[in-house]
Order: sequence, then C-alpha cells, then structure tokens
Amino acid sequence: MAQDMEQLYQERMKRYTTAMRNGKPDKVPIRPFVAEFTAKYAGYTCQEVTHDYQKAFDAACKCAADFDWDAVVGNMVYVWTGLTEAQGTQYYAVPGIGLDADVGFQYKEPSEERAYMQPEDYDALIDDPTGFLYNVWLPRVSADVAPLGSPATFRNNLAFVKGGMAMMQYFSGFGEQAARLRKESGTVSAIAGILKAPFDILADKLRGFIGLTMDLWERPKKVLAACEALMPHLTWVALSGADPDKNVPISIWMHRGCVPFISPAQFDRLYWATLKPIIEEIISRGHQVLFYAEGNWRPHLKAFAELPPGSIICHVDQDDIFAVHEVLGHRFCLSGGIPNFLLSYGTPDQVREHCRKVIDGVARDGGYICDASAIMQDDTSIENMRAMTDFVREYGVY
Amino acid sequence: MSDERKAEQPKRPPGVCVPWQEKLKELPEIKGDRELVQRVWEDVDALGYVYIWHCLLSF
Repeated sequence: MAQDMEQLYQERMKRYTTAMRNGKPDKVPIRPFVAEFTAKYAGYTCQEVTHDYQKAFDAACKCAADFDWDAVVGNMVYVWTGLTEAQGTQYYAVPGIGLDADVGFQYKEPSEERAYMQPEDYDALIDDPTGFLYNVWLPRVSADVAPLGSPATFRNNLAFVKGGMAMMQYFSGFGEQAARLRKESGTVSAIAGILKAPFDILADKLRGFIGLTMDLWERPKKVLAACEALMPHLTWVALSGADPDKNVPISIWMHRGCVPFISPAQFDRLYWATLKPIIEEIISRGHQVLFYAEGNWRPHLKAFAELPPGSIICHVDQDDIFAVHEVLGHRFCLSGGIPNFLLSYGTPDQVREHCRKVIDGVARDGGYICDASAIMQDDTSIENMRAMTDFVREYGVY
Repeated sequence: MSDERKAEQPKRPPGVCVPWQEKLKELPEIKGDRELVQRVWEDVDALGYVYIWHCLLSF
C-alpha cells in the first residue's frame, strides 16, 4: 500500500511539475486551493480549522484522500488564529471570537487615521525595515507588545515567547503535514515559500490601501523608496521557505496592483518596477513563482510576458482565461479560471460544461492546472467540487 | 532602483536582526572556535528575523 501511494505521489508530482513548466503531462493536473471548504467537507466549523491547525491539517488530508487531486496546500486557511491571539494581534476578526463559528476569519483594515504606519513613518521604514517592524509596527498591531521606551510588561514578554514558539511549532507542522499527505493519499504539497509584492504589503499591513492611495499623489518618491527598501527582505523570506528540490513554486499573492486599484503608469513605475527584480532573482536561483493574481490583470499581462518562458505559473481569477491564454499561453502555464460562483451556486452540469470549455480552449497543448478562480471557502458546493474533479479527471486525459 | 537607494547599504541586511559585528564587540575574548560562535549567533539571530517578517507576511 505504501509503495502504491509513493508511486501515485511520483505520478502526480510529474504531472504537476510538467504542466507548471508549460509542458503536456498525461492528464490535466488538479490543484484546488481549498480553504474553509475543507472544514465543510470534513465536518468542522470555520472556528475549528482556523483556531486549531491540527484540525485544519486533518481536514485537508481527508479531502486529499477522498478527491482525486494531484496537489493541495497543507492548510489553505493558513492564518492560525491561535498564534495571532497569543501575541495580541488586533487586525483579525476570529471565527468563534466576535464572529460566528461558521464564518471565515476576516482582516480588519484600520481607518486611514489609525493606519499601522503613518505618513511621517516612511523614513524610519526606509532606513531600517526590520527595526521598524519590531519597534514601531508590532507594538501598534498587538495589544500586548509594549511600545519602544515604555516599561516592559509581563504580557509584552510573553507575547514574544508565545508568538515565536507558536510560529516554530506551526511551521514545523507543515513539514509533517507534507509527509502525511504524501503517505496517506499520494498528494503533493502544492507550494513552498511566501512572497508578496512590496506595494501589496505596504498597502495591506502598513499604510492601508486608502492611505497608500493618497501617498501615491502626495509622496510618490517615499512610496517608491519604501518599496525598494522592502525588496531585499521580501526576496530573502521567499527564498528561505522555498522548496530545496525546486519542484513546487514559491507563491506570490497579488492584489492591489490589479485593475482598477492603480493606474497603468503607477503599475509600471511602482508595482512592477519593485516586483520584477525580486521575481528575476528567485528565477535565477532555479525556482518557479506562482502568480496568484487576484482580480483583473489583463492590462498587465504584457509585463508578465517579459519574464523568461516557463518561469511562472499565472493563476487566473477575474480575467477571461481564454484571453489570458492568447497572451501568455505560449510562455507560461495557467491555472484557475473555474468561477467560484459556478462552483457555489451552479449545477454540476454547468460546472462540467465550463470545465470542458476551459480544457478545450486552454489545456489542449498542456500548460494548464485545474482550479477555481479564487480560494474556495465554505460556500463551495461539495457536489460541484466532485463534478469538477471527476469530469476533469475523465475528460482531461491527453 | 532610485539613485539614492543604489548608493546605500541596508542598515540591517536581510536575515539579520543584530549583526555579528555588533555582538562581537560585547563579547570577551573568544578563546575557542570563533567561526562556530559566529555561525550559531547568525543562525539563531535569523530566527528572530524570520519571526517578525512572517508576522508581517503570513499572519
């Protein structure tokens, strides 16, 4: 049995990596990014998989064992709120604490006036990003961490010990989870390593999107300098978590550079100018990058096409996947393109019909990985997930 | 990259919270294997770096 699972794992790894290199494998790989869907399928609440990561791991393994998927993420819910609560993180609404137990966790972006980084903080961030995070940002986002210069407290001291040890425990758990998926269901862990664009992280966790939008007009040089200051650190962190075997890609979660959040000129001058060198550095080390491009990126596809063939996998969310294929299909593997609303509210026949169109239009020569457009939460229909999986497995044979 | 950034070296490079050279000044004479002390300092120091950057990126 164990040998069969290992054989299955090797078959799936070959299928997945062949498609990611824009080649034609034996079948269309299936790599669904299932988050709270796993809770729904395994009989857990959102609270259970968000606050107890072992249950999230169990739920992912159950789905991987029951569906014929080639690759999954060990825990796509990902944010373990046990850790964030342990260090007093204030920007999450946590299921079961303030939210109903059956609601997914939420990020609470503060108002412009209460942004975790204020306009006058740019120079400190630019001068010393790591120091800024420890000395300024963390005390602002945590209810327990004391601001620099104020008396240390018991809760302050505990926040670092508990936060650090919890993070170590959780990340170690991902290694064990990857081994478990391989052993129990022959499933590949889909990604390794995390990257965000400098502009995105500035918008998400530092200035907030509204504040950053104002900065684009009021202090654009500071925005550029801040993005540049973040570049080497984001590169380092991405590479530190990458797959040493270079099979599976580093994932980048992209959102604020899409249409219509910033103008094409801002994309070129800020977003892409400070992201492309990071991608090129990662590529030069032999890793692929999964562009998990949330939203509409069609106006920017030509920029993506500047990257070497086979260097990225472009995930398609809101764009027309057939149009994306026309621009990028000759260079890169695509994934996604199965609308979430169809998987949640369509019929199984509608799901099968859409999958057939995507396979016919995009996957004919390989270079396509089946997935929903966006990460699947608990509104995704189990029946439709089964329809997508079974149809693609049967119809997607080369 | 803008010109002013090109000319600058980061105050705290990637992977580093407290640089070895800064720590070295605080230590008495190292009588044993200096490279071992440096390597272990840098390895453990990097965990502090990973912690804060993952707080920002992952959590």
